[in-house]
Order: sequence, then structure tokens, then C-alpha cells
Amino acid sequence: MQKQDIETQYIIEDNQPLEGGQRVDTMTINMGPQHPSTHGVLRLILTIEGEIIVKAVPDIGFLHTGIEKTAESKTYHQALVLTDRMEYLSPLCNNLGYSLAVEKLLDIEDEISDKIKYVRVLLAELQRIASHLVWLGTHALDLGAMSVFLYCFREREMILDIFEEISGVRMMTSYICPGGLQADLTPAFDAKVRAFTSIFPDRLQEYHDLLTNNQLWMERTKGVGVLSAQDAIAYGASGPVLRGSNVVWDIRKAFPYSGYEQFDFDIPVGTNGDVYDRYLVRMLEMEQSLKIVNQALEGMPAGAYRVLDPKVAPPPKWQITGSMEALIHHFKFYTEGYRPPKGEVFVRTEAPKGELGFYIVSDGTAKPYRMHVRAPSFANLEALPLMIEGRFLADVVAAIGSIDIVLGEVDR
Amino acid sequence: MAITATSTVAMVREKFPQAVVETVEFRGEQTIVLLPEHLVTVCAYLQRNLQYAYLSSVTAVDWLERVPRYDVVYHLLSLTNQCELRLKVRVGQRGEEHPSVPTVSGTWPGANWFEREVYDLFGITFAGHPDLRRILMPIDWTTHPLRKDYPLTGFDLPEPHWGGQVPYDVDPGVGSQTLRTPSGRELNESRSKINPGQEPGEPGSEKRE
Repeated sequence: MQKQDIETQYIIEDNQPLEGGQRVDTMTINMGPQHPSTHGVLRLILTIEGEIIVKAVPDIGFLHTGIEKTAESKTYHQALVLTDRMEYLSPLCNNLGYSLAVEKLLDIEDEISDKIKYVRVLLAELQRIASHLVWLGTHALDLGAMSVFLYCFREREMILDIFEEISGVRMMTSYICPGGLQADLTPAFDAKVRAFTSIFPDRLQEYHDLLTNNQLWMERTKGVGVLSAQDAIAYGASGPVLRGSNVVWDIRKAFPYSGYEQFDFDIPVGTNGDVYDRYLVRMLEMEQSLKIVNQALEGMPAGAYRVLDPKVAPPPKWQITGSMEALIHHFKFYTEGYRPPKGEVFVRTEAPKGELGFYIVSDGTAKPYRMHVRAPSFANLEALPLMIEGRFLADVVAAIGSIDIVLGEVDR
Repeated sequence: MAITATSTVAMVREKFPQAVVETVEFRGEQTIVLLPEHLVTVCAYLQRNLQYAYLSSVTAVDWLERVPRYDVVYHLLSLTNQCELRLKVRVGQRGEEHPSVPTVSGTWPGANWFEREVYDLFGITFAGHPDLRRILMPIDWTTHPLRKDYPLTGFDLPEPHWGGQVPYDVDPGVGSQTLRTPSGRELNESRSKINPGQEPGEPGSEKRE
């Protein structure tokens, strides 16, 4: 491609005629990719007229790591660790989506025990709270409320400690895997989760006290970044962005997976589809998540933490030292992997950011022929220009924060 | 009567018999394979009449040896009826460098970025797309990485490149990657190399050298 072509692709015309044939002075500026409020490496090419945004063009791809391509040369079990790296603020929810897709491909959904389902739901909801806490902290920080950030990270630390307790890793846990869990829960798990659930309602109230009725907060967020319900659906927005626009839609309710139908929770929705509504939806979602965590903890059944199918999950360590077959299974599992039948599945889950879909095509070999990830942030970001065009430049920061993007998942 | 994925398939078959190539059910998921020229009509019908208001994703699959070579895959969702559906079109005749599919961004505006991604990573163009530019790869990239004949072993540099001096006029980065020819192609090399003899397929297919 010639240099000139490249330039013409990126130039957005200055001094473009506006309505009425009047030419107005506009200016094109870059926001990002190095900008603290773009939550990563998002670049926005903004055409502004004074303080008003005439046109906004998001430019993504700075964090493109080719995860979908890499997965094609890994076995199904190895590709699991790639999913943590996409949405690095909620790796367990990604693990869950991927595991469900592989299990559907293998047709072993019925073998997944209630214990596994409960642990998965519990962890996914804890992860949702952790992800929303990061969002709340950074969103408030962007809008000038610094103390919330410190409080949020204090609570998130407790959740990460729980993850470290069970998996040994704080963030990239890969704990949920096709066929169950990587390891059993530890004895201290229960007490740690209870310690968190007992203090969290008060802490949540603290955030509400700091922000929800705060005059400054409301002025920065109410009526800002409005996305109508029609636009949200047409642009494929999902998660809190969709629910903030008054669309009652939650995949946990519509297509219950991993036993979500056994839990009692509500779907909070907003009314106006502005930044404040999306804020409120996430705040209320944390409450609901906490409710699910409590239910899962109380009703936690006993059972195996992995399916007892040596083709899909490695045998437990103690068997390997005593049984020849177990050793062979262990060796075959880690060197060769398993071979799902030919076919394709698309599994949707409700990740903290929205609808996370895994589309996996199998050609009958031990590696996925194609893995496509329907990343919620990708579609949500596409709706960003609708929220900010015609608004003030200062509102861009509020709008970006409210859609809660993670660029690792946008660019994959 | 509530619309389900199964009844949708029946309705589409009845209304557009000339457009449907085949329908597949796998693990409870319904797939309709359509002819590319009828895609937009069927999509508009699904969106308006059967309330498939939500487009989850657009992606593609490269079946290197097959003609037509690519599947372009659409995942639809109906929020009102709580059902999901997959549409597929098959494009890419032999020797066709950039196969073309009509865009559905007129029906679902959200298809815009997904189609740009497919264009970027597969080189499939979307006729009538408002803004068909690369989205993830750098804009001066010349090839399409998710194709199965994309080299995984790095760029071809003129010999000698180990220990020797790479000529200054060769840009080792973008613009000079060569896709291997079919005879010497490293077809997704690590796929065929791991566990030689254990992958199913005709014996001897692993032997490349």
C-alpha cells in the first residue's frame, strides 16, 4: 500500500460543511492510545468544533495478539490459558465460557456434577464483583473521585486472595477447565468467602454513599452518553450497556447455563440509557452477584471436582503412582489431548462486560480448527460514537468509563 | 405461536426455497446455509418478521482445501423469543483472492465492525459496506492472518539471514511476507508436526520433506 493511500485512509476532513451550508472551523485531535482515561490502548480520532464532538472514530488493534490464531495450534486443554489473557479483569468468566463450549462439543454436559456447577457459578459471580469493582474504581477516578478507587481495590484484593487460595494464582487462574475444575477447593475457601460476603454489603453501601446521591457525580453522569434501546440492540451492545438502556436481557436468565436456573436473582435495568443508569445497573448487579454467591455457598453439594472420564480430564495424582492405566491416560491427555467430534458450537455466557460467545469449530483433531470469540467489549465499543457525537469533549471520558471496555478482549 | 429456532428453519425453508442450500442441526443448534445472493433478503426477513433483532457476531472459517473455500458465519439472537440461530454462506471459488459477500450492516448496523474484522483477518470483502477498512491489523498490512495458508514460521528473508547481514532494502516486516506456494506450503505447521502418525487422515500425509 502506498504511503498516500495510508494517509488518505486516516485523514478526516477538517472544515467540513455542516447543515445549512455554513462552514465551521473544526479540529481533529487524537485521544489515546496513550491516555489514562481510555482504559488501555484505545485511540479515538475526534473531530471537534470548540468543545462539541462532531465525529468520533475509534481506532483499535493496538493490543491485537492473535489469540484466535494461536488457539488453532494448541490442544483444547492448552487453549484454555489463552482465554484468561483476553479479558484480563475477569479470567474466570472467560474460562467458564470456553469450558462450556468445549463440553458442549464433547457432549459431556450431563456428566458435569452439581458441585462443579455450583463452584463455577460462585467463582463467576465473585469474578463479576471483582471486575465491577475495577470498573467502579477507575470510572470514578476518571471523573475525579479518587478515594473510591482505593476502596474498590481494597475489596478486590480480598477476592483475588480467594482465587489465590484455590488456584495458587491471583489473576490468570485457568481454574475452570473443560471437564470441571483444575483442583479441589481448599479447606480455607469457605471461611475466606464468608469473610468477604459478610463485609461486602457494608462496603457496597459505602460506595453508594460516596457516589449515588452525590451532586457532582450526578451532574457528570446523568443525561450523558445516552444510548437508546433500539440503538443498543441494533449495535449488538450487551451486558450492563444493554440493560442500562432499559432492555431486560440477561443470558443467565434467557439461556441458563451451568445451573443458573437454580439460583434466585433479579435483573436490574436502567431507564434512560445514560452513564448514570449504567453505573446504577452495575452497582445493583454486584448486590445480585453477592446474593448468588451466598446461595451457592449455602447449597454447595459434595462431589468430585472433575468428571471421571480419563479421556477428558486427567486422572487424580494419587492414581498415577499406583495405576498403569492412569499413567497412560495422564500421558495421553497431556501430550495428545482429546478429540471432539466434527462439528461446531456457539456458547453464550453473561460475562461482566456482556455477552461473551465462544464459537469453536472442530475438525475431529485434538486442536480447535477455528476459535472465534464474540467479545462483549468489541460490540459495546462500536456503539461509543453514538453516545458521544454532539456532546461535550469532557463527556467522552465518562462514556468510555461507562461501557467498561477491556482492550485485551476488543483486540484479542 | 412462539418462534423457535426449529420453526424458523422451517419458515425460511418454506419462504425462500431457492435460497437455502442446506440446514444442519448439531448439539441442538440450528444452522441455515444460504446462497450469498439471497443473504440480505433472508436477513431482512428474519430481522423484521421473525424478530431476530440482535446480531451477536459475524465471523468466518477457512476450509483451505474445499471449494468454496470460506464459511461466513452469522450468529443471530431473538430477544423477544429467546432463540438463537446460525446463518452461513459459502464463498471463495478456486483462485479467487478476495471473495465477496453482500453486507448485512444495512439490517444490523452492528455488523459494521464484525465485517471489518472478517475482511481484515480473512480478506473477504463485503459488497456495499460503508467503511471497509482494516480494524485489528495495521492498515499497511498486506495479508490476512487467519487464513490457513498464512505462514506461522515467520517471514521469508533472503539467505543468509542467520549470522549474515539482511540487506537494507528488504523490509522484514509488513509488506514482504510471502505466502508459501501450495507445493512447499507449511500448512499451519505445528498442527501437522505434533504427534506425527497419530493425527487421523491418510497415512503419509505428515511427510512433507
